[in-house]
Amino acid sequence: MKKRIAAVLCAAGMAMSLAACGGTAEAPAAPVENNGGSDKADSAEESKSSIDISGATLLSDGVLSVGCEVGYPPFEDFADDGTTPIGYDIDIITAVADKLGLEVNIINTAWDGIFAGIGVNYDVTCSAVTITPERQETMLFSTPYINNYQAVVLLADDDRTVSSFNDLDGLSIALQKETTSDILMSDYKSTGTIDVQIVANEKVTSCFTQLQNGEVDAVVVDSTVADGYINSSDAFKIVYRDESEPEQFGIAMGKDNTGLQTAINQALKELEEEGYIQDTYDYWFGSAAE
Amino acid sequence: MKSEGIRKYLKAIIVAGVIVLVCIILGILKPGRDEVLSRTSPEMQKMIDADANSSRKRVTVTYNDMLVISYASLSTSGAKVMSERYVGFLGKVYPADEGAMKIVGQMVNYTYRMLGCGENLMHGAKLTILLTTLTVIFGILLGTILALGKISKHKVLRHLSGMYIFFFRGTPLLIQLFVVYFTVPGICGFAWRDLFPASDAEAVYKGAFTAALIAFALNSGAYCAEIVRSAIQSIDKGQFEASKALGMNYAQTMTRIIIPQSVRRMIPNVSNEFIMILKDASLVFAISLMDITTISKNIMTSEGSYLVFIPALVIYLVITAFFGIIFNKIEKKFSVYE
Repeated sequence: MKKRIAAVLCAAGMAMSLAACGGTAEAPAAPVENNGGSDKADSAEESKSSIDISGATLLSDGVLSVGCEVGYPPFEDFADDGTTPIGYDIDIITAVADKLGLEVNIINTAWDGIFAGIGVNYDVTCSAVTITPERQETMLFSTPYINNYQAVVLLADDDRTVSSFNDLDGLSIALQKETTSDILMSDYKSTGTIDVQIVANEKVTSCFTQLQNGEVDAVVVDSTVADGYINSSDAFKIVYRDESEPEQFGIAMGKDNTGLQTAINQALKELEEEGYIQDTYDYWFGSAAE
Repeated sequence: MKSEGIRKYLKAIIVAGVIVLVCIILGILKPGRDEVLSRTSPEMQKMIDADANSSRKRVTVTYNDMLVISYASLSTSGAKVMSERYVGFLGKVYPADEGAMKIVGQMVNYTYRMLGCGENLMHGAKLTILLTTLTVIFGILLGTILALGKISKHKVLRHLSGMYIFFFRGTPLLIQLFVVYFTVPGICGFAWRDLFPASDAEAVYKGAFTAALIAFALNSGAYCAEIVRSAIQSIDKGQFEASKALGMNYAQTMTRIIIPQSVRRMIPNVSNEFIMILKDASLVFAISLMDITTISKNIMTSEGSYLVFIPALVIYLVITAFFGIIFNKIEKKFSVYE
């Protein structure tokens, strides 16, 4: 928490200093000069404003707009007031933007077509996006900021044992449409590995409602999301976590926006070194999750 | 009179016959599944053989048979992705990995998936048509009852019907669907899929379909009620008086005189309602059913192909045209009174 406040203060300080010398001719040159001179040794002294974002393309100056499918707790969800997005992704992207001296503008968008909006409606997508080779063909990713596994969730009083996805044979499972869970389970089904009825939903929250109502037998979902649900409800339990195929989440941006990629990676690296990422992880997912 | 009728349809019959004949010929000449899949590359064949004894299979074999043309694809999952696509047409197998053949293959595959071929009735165009048709039938039945209630002399009946119509027209169909599927079982403690035997693997879809049909029919009933009411009230007052003069009671007047005449006036509005439901049927995405719109959106997100919307439009237009003709025929049939 302290670190977050510090970051905000630094960003505010930087914004003020920029505003103060806005009238003078040297102003645009000043940050560039700083960056040229700064190396690893004095980056600590330069603090948060050291990252060069001059090579990055942004839709609007001074603002990092972020496409986000709000409704995927604990990564992103609306707070009780119904309008403030909160969650792990939100904290990460806000801290990154603070490092870059940018303001964050979260744009709530549907998961369908979320990638089509990059560079059109928003600069980046930070919405629990798994880095895959297919996606890397059409967009750039930052370095991963969290590891994730596919997990199977059952009702707490269900005594089935699941030690691999093959044990789901013959069951009805709910999952969120067009997610890694969907791709994985559809693959198990289409290759004939197991016979499973896939119930694909628009929102992951619908999957858990269906499980609770008894419409489906199990939910296949990102382990991080499952952890969040288990923390907040006794009705469910995680019975299997596929640690053989870890996935990594990254911030996605336009294919040609290498400047922004470099800047975001630098910010993530600094946040990692400061322990901010670990703190945020513990805050949202608890210490139960690895 | 009779020969005139046949002559009127002769042209249509000949055209249809020729189309069917051409389709049969093309269908016979089309290469079969084994012939198309025999083109598989050696590497892919190796993967398929390796899969036979594996508990985690990697190769997806797709074969879409669409009467005159067939499409087959083999694709692997995992770190090293391989895929091969073929189109079978007129006795030949064409590779469809690039160029015009790729687009042809995609079109066949997308159309196949959107029509819901190879799946049960709860998928694709079959789901859309089934849901729409049943909704309109139940909607009209319910609507007729509600309309008679709304114009009846009983104060209680009138208010009940009025409240029902107000409620279902005043709330969005999507929320009604959510309430029927999620809220009602949640409160009452049952599950829609338990209506079907547990051994039925498709029970979960059938349960969702039942919930969708109930929500759609309840909603459509409210709209149909107003259609029926306006049609009944458009019949001249003199008809009621004449029936009374002939000694008919209320039920006889309604079933023998008024309703038969009002049917013709209902048809255009019911046809409208039908088309509205046809498109509203895409709301079933919210309770995990896959209709034409949902499937096309899914293909768009997973493959990024904007071409998918063209067959989707064509399928919708064909369905609307088909039912448009049927409604026209019904309207003509009931026009004899006027």
